[in-house]
Order: sequence, then C-alpha cells, then structure tokens
Amino acid sequence: MSQITATTTAAAQHPVRAWSGVPILLIALIAAFLFHIAVGAKPLPISTVFEALVSFDATNFDHVIVQNLRLPRAALAVVVGASLSLAGALMQGVTRNPLADPGLLGLTTGAAFAVVVAHTVFGFTSMAFTPWIAMSGALGAAVIVFFISRMVPGGATPLSMTLAGAAVSAFLGTIISVIHLLNQDTFENLRVWLTGALAGRDITLLWYVGPWMLIALIGGILLAPRVTVLAMGDEVAQGLGVRTGILKAQLLAVVVVLTAGSVALAGPLGFIGLVIPHVVRLYVGSDYRWIVPYAALTGAVYLVSVDIVARVAIPPREISTGIITALIGAPLFVHLVRRRTR
Amino acid sequence: MAIALPPRQLILRTPREFIALRLPLRGITMAALLLLTLFIVSAVSLATGSYGVALGEVWETLRGVTISRAIDNVVWEFRFPRTICAALVGAMMALSGGVLQNATRNSLADPSLVGISQGAALAVVTLTVAFPELNSGLRPWIAFVGSVLVAAAIRALSHTRQGGSTIRFILMGIGLSAFISSITSILLTYGEIDRAMAALAWLAGSINAASWGDVWTLLGWTAVLFPPLLLLSRAMSALRFGEAAATGLGAPVAMVRNLQLVIAVGFAAIATSVVGPLGFVGLIAPHAAKRLAPAGMGLHLVLTALLGAVLVGLADLIGRAAFAPIQIPAGILTSLIGVPVFVLLLIRSRHSQSY
Repeated sequence: MSQITATTTAAAQHPVRAWSGVPILLIALIAAFLFHIAVGAKPLPISTVFEALVSFDATNFDHVIVQNLRLPRAALAVVVGASLSLAGALMQGVTRNPLADPGLLGLTTGAAFAVVVAHTVFGFTSMAFTPWIAMSGALGAAVIVFFISRMVPGGATPLSMTLAGAAVSAFLGTIISVIHLLNQDTFENLRVWLTGALAGRDITLLWYVGPWMLIALIGGILLAPRVTVLAMGDEVAQGLGVRTGILKAQLLAVVVVLTAGSVALAGPLGFIGLVIPHVVRLYVGSDYRWIVPYAALTGAVYLVSVDIVARVAIPPREISTGIITALIGAPLFVHLVRRRTR
Repeated sequence: MAIALPPRQLILRTPREFIALRLPLRGITMAALLLLTLFIVSAVSLATGSYGVALGEVWETLRGVTISRAIDNVVWEFRFPRTICAALVGAMMALSGGVLQNATRNSLADPSLVGISQGAALAVVTLTVAFPELNSGLRPWIAFVGSVLVAAAIRALSHTRQGGSTIRFILMGIGLSAFISSITSILLTYGEIDRAMAALAWLAGSINAASWGDVWTLLGWTAVLFPPLLLLSRAMSALRFGEAAATGLGAPVAMVRNLQLVIAVGFAAIATSVVGPLGFVGLIAPHAAKRLAPAGMGLHLVLTALLGAVLVGLADLIGRAAFAPIQIPAGILTSLIGVPVFVLLLIRSRHSQSY
C-alpha cells in the first residue's frame, strides 16, 4: 500500500515541478525577444516596440525599423535556437552520447557543404531549393559519420562518434575553402553566411523552411516520450515494445530537417545543441518527455540573448553569433570530456 | 607496436670498434630514395610557375651563371626560398607530429589536431591585428609562447589520477581548438580590414610569401631543436614500449617527456609562425615512415622529416600548378590528404575502447 501511495505522490509532484519552469521560460523568452528588438544602433523604448507589433503604423519610422529590420532577425533567432537545441537533445538521447550535437557530428558542415556545392558547381541559386539541398547534405554527413564510428573497434561510442564527426567536418570544410578560392563570387555571397550569423538574413527563406521546421519541432516533441525509453538502450526499448528501427528513422528525419533548416536560415552555428540539453537536464532530470520541450524553449531564449550580446558588444560592428556560441560551448565540451572520462 | 628486426643490415665499424653502427639496409635505401624525390620535387618546383624556366636554366642560375636578370630574380628571390621553406616546414611539422605521438603514446596526435597550431595562430593573429607596429621578427617567439600555453593547458586538463588517456587527449584538443579559433575569428572581424586580410591569407597555410629571412629563421631553429632530439632518440625508443618498460630500462621518463613536448611544440610553433597552420602533416608523415621501413628511432626520425619535406613540397607544387592563376594554399591540400588518413587510423586503432 505504501508503495502505491509513494508512486502516486511522486507522479503528482513531478508534473508540478516539471511544469513550473514553462511560464518562467515563456516570460524570459518574451522579455528577451522585446529587448532584442529594442536595442541597437537606434535604441527604442519597449513601449514603442510593443506598439509597432500590435498596431503597426507605416508612417512611423520607428515602427518600420521594428517590422522590417529587427522583428525578422529576432524571429529567426527564436526558430533557429529552438530547432538546434531540440535536435541536439534528440541526438543525445538516440545515440546515448552526451557529446552529440548537430555541429560536432558533422551535420551542419554537411548542410553547408551541400549548399556551397549546389551554388557553385550546379548553379542552383533559387531559394526554394536551398532547404532541400541542405537537408540532403546533412543526411549524407550523418550517415557517413555513423558508419565510420561503427567501423571503429569498440563500436559507436561517444568518443569515436565525435572523432568521426570532427574528421568529416574538417574534410568538408577544406573542400568548401577550395571552392571559395576557385570562385571569388560565391565567397563574397556566402562568406557571412558561413560564419553562422543572424545579421542581414533574407526573411523570405523563413516562409520556405518554416513550415517544415514547425512540423519537425512538433514531431520531435511527440516522439520524445519514446526517446526516454530508447535512451535506456536498444534491448530495453525493444523489450518495452518500442520498434526501435522505425523510431530511429523518424528521429533522424526530424533531426535532419531541424538542422538543415537552421543552417539554411542562419549558417552553421556551433555548440547550441550541445549546451542547452545539458543545462536543461540540471532542472528536469533525465526524462526526455521534459528535456525535449524545455530544450526548445531554453534554446530560443539562449540564442536570442546571445544575439543581443553579438549586436551590442562592440558598438559599431557586430560579432558573428556563431563565434559567441562557440566561445560558450567549447569550454563546456572540454568539461564534459573531462567528467566522462575521469 | 611491433618492431620486427630488419633482415638485412649494414654494419659499419671503425678500426678497433671505436664507433660501430648497425644500419638497416631498407631504411637507408628509403632515406636515399626520399632524398632523391625531394630533389626532383624541388627542381620541378623551381622550374614551374607563371614565368616558365627550363630545368637546365635553373641549374645554371643556381650555379651562379646569370642567364637573364628576370630568371635570376624569379629563381633566386621567389622560388628558391619558397622551395626551401616548403621542405623545411614540412620536415618540422612532421617531426613535431612524430615526437608528439611518441610522447603521448597516441597514434592520432598531430600539432594541428590538439590545438598547438591554433595557439600559435592566435598569437600571431593577435600580433598582426592588434600590435602591427611591433617587429615581425618577434613572430616565432610569440607563436612559441602561444603554443606552449595551449600545450600546458592540454596537459593540465587531460591529467587524471590514472594518467592521461589517448583519445580524450584528442577530444580535449578539439574543444580547445574550437575555443581558440573563435577568439581568432573575433580578432579577424573586429580588426582593421587590411591587417585582417593579411592575417587571413596567412591562416590558410600558404607558402607563397616565403623570403630568405624566413629560410634563415627556419634553419636557425632547426639547428637548435634537432640535435637534442637525436640525443633523445635512445630514450624515445624505450618509450615505445610504454612508460613502465621505459622506466625499467632506465630512461628518465618524466624528463624525456617534458623535453619532447618542448621540442614538438617548438617545431610546430616556428613552422606555423612562418607559413601558417599546415594541417595533418604531423599525422601522416610518421605513420608513412613506419610503413616504409622498420627502423630504430633515429633513422625513423630522419625518414619522418624527409617524408614531411616531400609531402609539403609536393602540396605546394600542386597547389601552385593545378589551377594555374589561382594558388591553392599547401595547408588545404595536406588537410585533404590527411583527413582520410586520420579516419583510416581511427578505424584501425586498438585503443579506442580504452577511453
């Protein structure tokens, strides 16, 4: 009897604690979003930002700045931050690898590589194709990294996967630089994009990629409960009635769409998918039902905040957002390697 | 690591056996062949370029005969220092990788993989972008300081109660490299555009700006760093069998290892300060040398250095000639060859379970 009451109280308490973070994160997201729009070369009061969003006045210059310049960038940060964090969380669950991240396992470089090759070698400049090209690149890189790490003696351990990912990224990155050297025009066009910056993005691309990413985000959250089971190992998951093969294929599709969409929108941004799930775990524990949606929300807040820093840190110029995420993420990576292999 | 005894050996004895040397024939032959290859690559490299010079004319010019002022200028001022630089830098990076692999007992170690090159790069970019008024002769020193700091950081971070492990050493390097590279990127975006462009060209690992000054810098440092390395080679062969065995054989392990690290970092830092980061040479050359000929440590080091010289000389030549008006930096070509080698070594490694 006592056992049953214990489980019911645990079940009753857990959701309260788990849900408690959602309103805080939502408030933080809205605050960061408004602040992101308000700061800049021409600081605007929050009230003006709010007016511009609610009742847009085309004759008001401040409103035009908000609607045409700053709102798209803030929206981009929200979408990309949420997508990359969610993709990282799912990858860490599926591969049972605390070092998994779309950037470290070569997916972002794969997507970037495919886009650069399509631009220069095949002359695809239409934006409608970009997401699809990026997706095929990310998928190809993921498959190659997975097979290399399978062939390493000892199998696909976190460390062999990371090494394979680093090797594939290095190789594709080198080919990208060769293409740039041979083709100055594309270098001019793609240079900013390749550092992973949110500045000066074309918002129309969001209309092409956005719907797919939204579907993938929802799909990821729906699949999350079964990832918890999968994270206990394939055999346990099969014993509990999960069809692991199909589930893994679905998760791969979700991760590829989210990563490729983010790369198409903002270029290769590193380490977000690594950092956020680990931060989220500190609060919600190891249940992917909660990790996945929390990662999406926290990732959005994180990237918006990082982008604010990128915009205001050195006033006349901007630092690429990808540089700052790497500055924060790389030390965490070193820490994780240290802790894991103690 | 199996060291098979070479079947045929050349034994040299002075009268009364004052000095006796036992040299494996295969290793000696390979060294001679590599030296020949290096000469051929250098000769072709001297003759190839936007201003064509015949091989015979190159020879005459090098002997001091002036055929025409233009040829004199092209060969002596541009191509000769460049060719020598390529060979020297290749040898230095290869030796750095070989020594690093021996010291860390890690077959995947390479100065560009563990962050040592990136440390040198950050130091030099800082010098170029932030303090352009300082003398460029300081470059090697600054690069050395940057590399030493990174090497110390890696040693501190990967040190555990059980001693360092092999693969996590590399992972630590990947993390550190990412961190250091992003600081370098900030300097590049924030710095003045002219200086940033100069730093960017240097970062691609290109030898095209080599001058006689660079040649003397490289030669001087090699003269300082190579002799102690040869003296260490005996202790290094003992280290091949592992720390415990080496201690049992009477090698001062801790001192040898620290000296090795200083030498490896020194080679990588000086080479990087002159031509920029050259990826993967230090990874490929020692492994290829092992394949070519089983040899004792001293000869192995010589073979490694020669292979590195040939590799970078070839990379520079191909990069210059393949897409004629555009020059592909040698660093890019060495990375293109190096990554598949890295993957192959990873797949074959037997230590990967023991992270």
